Amino acid sequence: MPLITPETVKRTLKDVYGYDISDESAGAVANTAGAMLSLAQHLGTLGLDGVEPPFGYATLMTEAIRTAAKK
Amino acid sequence: MAHSYEQLLSFDVAALGEKLQAKEISPVELTEAYLDRIQRTDDKIRAYITVTADLARKAARKAEHEIVAGKWRGPFHGVPIALKDLCYTRGIVTTGGSKILADFKPGHDCTVWARLSRAGAILLGKLNLHEFAYGITSSNPHWGFARNPYALDRIPGGSSGGSAAAIVARSAAATIGTDTGGSIRIPAALCGCVGLKPTWSRVSRHGVLPLAYTMDHVGPITRTVRDAALMLNVIAGHDRNDSTSSRERVADYTQQLDAGVGGLKLGIVRELMDGLSAEVQRSFEGAVAQLRALGATLDEVTIPSLPLSGIINGIVTWAEATEIHQEWMATHPQDYGDDVRRLLEVGMMIPAGAYVRAQRARARVLAQAMEALASHDVLIAPGTAIPAPKIGDSRRLDSDSGSVDVLTGILRFTQPFDVTGQPAIAIPTGLSSDGLPLAMQIAGRPFAEATVLQVASAYEKARGALPAPPPICSN
Repeated sequence: MPLITPETVKRTLKDVYGYDISDESAGAVANTAGAMLSLAQHLGTLGLDGVEPPFGYATLMTEAIRTAAKK
Repeated sequence: MAHSYEQLLSFDVAALGEKLQAKEISPVELTEAYLDRIQRTDDKIRAYITVTADLARKAARKAEHEIVAGKWRGPFHGVPIALKDLCYTRGIVTTGGSKILADFKPGHDCTVWARLSRAGAILLGKLNLHEFAYGITSSNPHWGFARNPYALDRIPGGSSGGSAAAIVARSAAATIGTDTGGSIRIPAALCGCVGLKPTWSRVSRHGVLPLAYTMDHVGPITRTVRDAALMLNVIAGHDRNDSTSSRERVADYTQQLDAGVGGLKLGIVRELMDGLSAEVQRSFEGAVAQLRALGATLDEVTIPSLPLSGIINGIVTWAEATEIHQEWMATHPQDYGDDVRRLLEVGMMIPAGAYVRAQRARARVLAQAMEALASHDVLIAPGTAIPAPKIGDSRRLDSDSGSVDVLTGILRFTQPFDVTGQPAIAIPTGLSSDGLPLAMQIAGRPFAEATVLQVASAYEKARGALPAPPPICSN
């Protein structure tokens, strides 16, 4: 079963961006995204238990201070 | 002593710095030489989107005045350079290579240009690129297809295609590029010049139109390794406007350039040694032999997770680029080129969970790269699997090693070091039998740009000058 269908692509682009794409284009987008997501399942083999995403609180704090100072 | 335009254009930044300081050449005549060169070549190369001739002449007069008065600012004082056109320049159109931003004039300079400008560099103009830096051909539907100076029917690579083409066409002394999946190193490799992607966060991204926040790097594209080091000396360092920019100490990146490679241990990345065209393989093996003859020890290293770098880089870039472009995709979808709009449509289909998992996976790839670097000073690999493809050959190419997917044959070699954020340089290793540049990459530990440059410099000296491209203009 495909991970992403052309129908999902067409509906998402219509709902989010408000434009229609052809069946052929929707199929190409679905194939590319589906293939990537299928490959992404291999990332689980890397042993990611306990690995944090690289989004630090230090950056959050600095951005808050920097953007507050700009106002 | 008066110099001809041809002589002036032959000097690299290091030589120009000395001659300008010694008042052997004038920033005004040098700038005129470059503007003349742009005029004579750019209808064929399409390296530039905007040429800032009047501003360049004004800046050159100011530089001349200062140098004559003894106020020399350093090696870039009076040197004509150009910026990839997603670097903000106050009051100067910054298109991002797009139709959407065709009239956009930023209200401030990006930090990289602010620093180069303070160092006395002269801005010749803004350089062509793949639309919004989202692709590797620089076949720009809005501003013209940038072309490879070694073969005008071939791509210069991308996305910083104009930045590399201008270096090789001698229409800028040095340029700035950006690299998210290979966009500094790919054009440098395909055009036959030097492209340095510094460690992520080493150079401020403030005022540089983003493609993917956590993968974008800004760095030099130059004729020589020394020029790259000189440029990094100017642009590296913490910037309070970019909270992700590093506070790590900034070295003098020229200091180790003459240290050689004797006693250094270089690791050849096993996962990047398959699928090479025979000519790339031969050229890379020649470079390995030269490095060995220079006294380096080389052996094979393995980074088992490296083949997953393409997926990680793809998912992160798709997701982040889609967030950056979502408003324009809602209001101007028809103004994107077909290929970039397609990528942004794919990005809409990437689930948040896949994005976070890809981000987490980066640590594993970096950990394995660092493990390899625990026993080696740098890693080396080919720059790409194939030389520059012809414009329009965007899918599969027949090579002597079989049919090669162009994207895979190029991006697969550069994406890993965007995923890990390590410094990596592309440097030419020679020309193919049909006269196209071939290259290798040297990657180091995070913030060890000086070591990467040291190895590249030793190799560059041993290699000698690369044969020049065919004449681009008739005179």
